[in-house]
Amino acid sequence: MSEHYNSEVWTEKYRPRKFEEMVGQVEIIKRVRALTNSMNIPHLLFAGPAGTGKSTLALIVVKSLFGESWRENYLELNASDERGIDVVRQKVKDFARTKALGDVPFKVIFLDEADALTREAQQALRRTMENFTSTCRFILSCNYSSKILDPIQSRTVVFRFQLLEKKDIKKRIDLIAESEGLSINADAFDALYEASEGDCRRVINLLQATASISPNITPDLVNTIVSKARPSDIKIVLDYALSGDFVSSKEKLLDIMLKESISGQDVIKAIQKEVWNLPIDNALKVRLTEKTGEIEFRLVEGADEFIQLESLIAAFVMAGIGNGVGGLKESG
Amino acid sequence: MNVDNIPWSEKYRPEGFEDIKGQDLAIDKIRFFLKSFPKKRAIVLHGAPGIGKTSLAYAIASEMDAEIMELNASDFRNKEKISEIIGPASKQKSLFKKHKVILIDEVDGISATKDRGGLGELLVLLERSVFPVIVTANDIWNKKFSLLRRKAEIVPLKEVDYKVVLGILNDVCESENCVVSNEVLTSIAIRARGDIRAALNDLQVLSKMDSPELIKEVGDRNREQSIFSALQYVFQNAKIDEDMIRVYDEVNMPIDDIFLWIDENIPLAYKGEELCRAIEALSLADVFRGRIRRQRHWRFMVYEYFLLGAGIASVKKYNRSGWVSYKKPSRILKIWLQNQRAAKKKTICQKYAKMCHISTKTAMKDFLLLRVILGNEEIRRGLKLSSDEITYLDK
Repeated sequence: MSEHYNSEVWTEKYRPRKFEEMVGQVEIIKRVRALTNSMNIPHLLFAGPAGTGKSTLALIVVKSLFGESWRENYLELNASDERGIDVVRQKVKDFARTKALGDVPFKVIFLDEADALTREAQQALRRTMENFTSTCRFILSCNYSSKILDPIQSRTVVFRFQLLEKKDIKKRIDLIAESEGLSINADAFDALYEASEGDCRRVINLLQATASISPNITPDLVNTIVSKARPSDIKIVLDYALSGDFVSSKEKLLDIMLKESISGQDVIKAIQKEVWNLPIDNALKVRLTEKTGEIEFRLVEGADEFIQLESLIAAFVMAGIGNGVGGLKESG
Repeated sequence: MNVDNIPWSEKYRPEGFEDIKGQDLAIDKIRFFLKSFPKKRAIVLHGAPGIGKTSLAYAIASEMDAEIMELNASDFRNKEKISEIIGPASKQKSLFKKHKVILIDEVDGISATKDRGGLGELLVLLERSVFPVIVTANDIWNKKFSLLRRKAEIVPLKEVDYKVVLGILNDVCESENCVVSNEVLTSIAIRARGDIRAALNDLQVLSKMDSPELIKEVGDRNREQSIFSALQYVFQNAKIDEDMIRVYDEVNMPIDDIFLWIDENIPLAYKGEELCRAIEALSLADVFRGRIRRQRHWRFMVYEYFLLGAGIASVKKYNRSGWVSYKKPSRILKIWLQNQRAAKKKTICQKYAKMCHISTKTAMKDFLLLRVILGNEEIRRGLKLSSDEITYLDK
């Protein structure tokens, strides 16, 4: 819960506090606002990519409903941190036991990253939602609504958030720049936007990190920060692999992933970007990129990210020793 | 090396014959061999792992006040190293002030086919050496050792009785000032099945735990034995038969652990293209594991196990022989160590995550970027970062 209302972290400092301050998601905001004004919301499910305003909207709903006493009537849980549904259930129970303060007859529980819950946990959550429905409303957020069980989806009103458009992000950036006294030209904004991939939280973080060096934001400065924030040394992993040294490549990869605590997704993204800079035949780059895509798919489907990345390294080893990109089948 | 980090099995390695427990018969034979040297120039100490073969070799050296020249199985691929040893060893003894003993450790590791020269070199050494040669082996009855058996004195080492192991454990506990109940010690001793090294390793791990009663936390050697045999079978056989398909049936270990064992050992078993294809099979098996987890579609287990067994075995054309010493999975340990080191990072991210309505995981992921932002004094104060955490950030 945000105790630090006046935080100097810009993602908090400039988090929209009212419906009209939000950018993008016009239809969603209109409908959620109408629901909120009626002072009786159903359970809500916010689905969409990171940094598109899901948590912000949830907070605005809560503040509009409860006004000054919102903190007493609001519980924020993060499913990917609160391991196990039992913790969630216990916290929900404790929170829901006491009656809501004020005019609104219910409290609100915001369960962020609900798609991190297992099927079993979601089943349990569904019962919890039913048991406490008279005293609690749930707002769930997730990246992919397909990962939320149908029975839960059917008990909620689902809103699908879209990636923010460039012009929307520009609005926020301009506002911050003005308030913080930064100068950002069009190229610098493009560099920021490019690196953010439409994630508003990320773009603001990038801006703040860049501004900590100079208030004069240039594309070069942005790129310096971006490369600092990118998993370094992925190139070394690939160099080892191409030279045929699987073991060193694997060790280096594990080292990077652990030291910088980055996910397999981040690694594969970095690899995919790196492939075109490698000193190899273009036709091979095409096949390696295809293989990278295949492994990214397996990463989503499989259980152990590291094993999947190893198999991608193996493809680079095969490419390095001149045998295509490998596979279970024997190469020609 | 920090004294605490020395494995107890090394720290308490016996120094002379009198320190060696439970091998009296073998010691008599060794004494006789030394007395009658050079009637036979080599002695083979063989028996199960961890019963004191290498320790005995060192004890012989210490008894003779001799220096040990050690040759590992891997050295037999290296001609220079061998002549380095054979050269001086075949020269007149009088040239040297000190006695020497040549130790060939873990001779099982020499492959009969791959380093065909290796065994031959060894036999040359046995014929010419003016110093006693000690050979250790797990299994001397392999037919590749038939010539060696004829030329050397064979000394079987007995499996050590659990009471002897228990005695050793008690002594070590006393020296290390650690209190472990007799019941737990006995159970370590029994589970070790005569392997003193294993027992000492278990004891050392246990002594570092808060509650030494947690004996189950120490890996069960029985289970290791079963995964060893399964890995051996998969990595060495090219033929896919009924046994290969059921190869993991006898392994009483969770499937996730089996994955880790295979993952760790594929690079030891395969090289080049075979390695890549084996990893591919592992990757495909993992996809089925993921689907089982998410969809509870248990039938996929058929494919999962098939790929782990037949899939990984099928990447080679011919059977393998030789002895590979498979490694315990190290990845979990590395993750644990890293987590210890990154503990500060985690607490920082927890504080940040709470303030910014995101998960700790997301904060950890963005840490490289956040680190720059967290340079700001005011933000540090706002997050109530401890001085340790600030030191970590400024590092």
